[in-house]
Amino acid sequence: MAGVVLDDLTKRYDGGALAVDKLNLDIHDGEFVCLVGPSGCGKTTALRMIAGLEEITSGEVRIADRVVNNLPPRDRDIAMVFQSYALYPHMSVRDNMAFGLQLRKTPKADIDKAVVEAARILDLERFLDRKPGQLSGGQRQRVALGRAIVREPAVFLMDEPLSNLDAKLRVQTRAEIARMHTRLAATMIYVTHDQVEAMTMGDRIAVINEGVLQQAGSPKELYELPQNRFVAGFIGSPSMNFVDLKVSQEGGVVRLAGEGAEMRPDDTQSALLRDLGTDTVAVGFRPEHLELAPLTGPGLSVTVVVDVVEFLGNDELIHGSSDGRDMVAIINADNTLTVGQSVTLSCPPRRLHLFNPTTGLRIAKDGVSGNSMVAYRVTTG
Amino acid sequence: MSVQAASMPVAAQPKKQGFRVRPSRILINVVLAAIAIFWLVPTIGIAIISLRPNSSFQQSGWWTVFTAPAQLTFSNYQQLFSAGFRAGGVLDSLTTSIAITVPVTILVTLISSLTAYSLVFGRWRGRTVVFLLIVAMLVLPLQMALIPVASLYKVFDTTTGLQVFGSVIGAIIFHVAFGLPFGIFLMRNFYSGIPHDLLEAGRIDGAGEWTLFRKVVMPIGIPALASLAIFQFIWVWNDLLVALIFLSGNTHQTLTLFLYGQTRALSSNYWIISTGAMISIIIPLIVFFAFQRYFVRGVLAGAVK
Repeated sequence: MAGVVLDDLTKRYDGGALAVDKLNLDIHDGEFVCLVGPSGCGKTTALRMIAGLEEITSGEVRIADRVVNNLPPRDRDIAMVFQSYALYPHMSVRDNMAFGLQLRKTPKADIDKAVVEAARILDLERFLDRKPGQLSGGQRQRVALGRAIVREPAVFLMDEPLSNLDAKLRVQTRAEIARMHTRLAATMIYVTHDQVEAMTMGDRIAVINEGVLQQAGSPKELYELPQNRFVAGFIGSPSMNFVDLKVSQEGGVVRLAGEGAEMRPDDTQSALLRDLGTDTVAVGFRPEHLELAPLTGPGLSVTVVVDVVEFLGNDELIHGSSDGRDMVAIINADNTLTVGQSVTLSCPPRRLHLFNPTTGLRIAKDGVSGNSMVAYRVTTG
Repeated sequence: MSVQAASMPVAAQPKKQGFRVRPSRILINVVLAAIAIFWLVPTIGIAIISLRPNSSFQQSGWWTVFTAPAQLTFSNYQQLFSAGFRAGGVLDSLTTSIAITVPVTILVTLISSLTAYSLVFGRWRGRTVVFLLIVAMLVLPLQMALIPVASLYKVFDTTTGLQVFGSVIGAIIFHVAFGLPFGIFLMRNFYSGIPHDLLEAGRIDGAGEWTLFRKVVMPIGIPALASLAIFQFIWVWNDLLVALIFLSGNTHQTLTLFLYGQTRALSSNYWIISTGAMISIIIPLIVFFAFQRYFVRGVLAGAVK
């Protein structure tokens, strides 16, 4: 087992397109890290560079303290699970799993033992002599996992392994991979565009956008303390609402208002805003933190005209608009709202996120967010 | 083939309709069977002529066999084979044909497959240009190259003192050169359908290029390889023109040359032609049936993608 360090990892394609820009990440031994971001953000390219399938333009990849930049994939002690499964169609399930070990000249008895054990873990024993074409999507995915397990690699790399599965199987396989991680205590790097997958599986999540690492941290950190507007909007489902508010001061009391919303900051926020001295601030708040109640103390209140009401069982998902700005709220289904109705929603101050409207960075008293997103380096653990 | 093609839609019907035989289906089957028999008549005729005494050719038609089967005999075959492997005999021609066709088939499938692998999965610049050049060679008629290649061989022979022109090797080289463009074209198009993920998975599993080719790409390409092998085998086996020019002066002839020699002589040699033709049909038939399973899949494989 081993940790993986990405040091200023950069990929520039021949055409000049920058796919990954100075990616820095310390992945600890046994950690489950999700690389998450929208399509085309460079997360898969980063993974492929770790795997050795993509040439590195500059920077370093270190696996178990060894620079592997110029090592072929087979010498990196990794296993990869592909989005398309990439099973060898002409080989049986058994041979698919055994192939890597056979190439490493592992004794036959050991191969058989490893394959049978992996098949047992993944409930594939009955299918060992079948060809991939005779298996369902979920079974194929398990074979792909099995092929990775038998090798006992230092690092598992997974490239959107669940995206070809239907919703139910995805949840099952998600649990399967999580169990596998606990059992093997292996380092795993998991690429996904689905933030729910990342939130549920990762010990730590690295959010990437346009080739640049935006923030890396535990799911809770990303949810509660997003360092910039992109992370705030990307993590959480449905996405965070934003309003741009104008800051005004009357006799030392800070007030914010605009776009159908107004905010009364608490003491900490007031101090921050006074120090900042800007006249506008982007305020973010999550749909699940909105309440159907007028504001009593500090906090934010927003008036929303309801467009659509989606019944979710216990809750209702309200789509509406406030002064032209789209708003989403999740409220208890006991409140019967109707389309066209105008309602006032409120959010407590500790659930509000303040961002600089031009840089998009979080406004915080300790300056955690730093000045540069590019050089943002994360060390936790 | 025809019967199979007609029965397939029936099998695809739901079970409860299986008992009903529709008149239109019977009609289709009868028509198909008639076409199949019509198609086979010349071959059956030649087969029967080869099995009748050679004197009876001018006395009665081959179809009289159906009323008087007693006339069937293997005497023609015995007579042809009695010459043994002497140069100019049918057995010598058979071995010469095999000596040319088998190496050509193996070389063309192997080289095409390797080239196609490099064209599809290699990482070098100009792959597309090279492929287009190869495709362009497909339109080059074989006849155009006969004289240039023959004189090239002669120049080579006079400078090196070797004997390529008029030898089996010379014919093999020519056939391989003309078989490759189509072979590469076919294999390249087939390999293009193989997802690159598979090779990447192989690389991570620890395979080098040669192992990837042998263990991953080639097995997947078997249907296309089998199709190519059958095409190539039959083309070279049935070739007369190339053998006529590049084996000229050689005492060993291919089967086609052997048969051609008989047609130029007087008509009394019909028994030799029919018997020789049957012998020359048998080998491709064996090859076809050995690979048929893959052949049908290979022909279909390109269509689905």
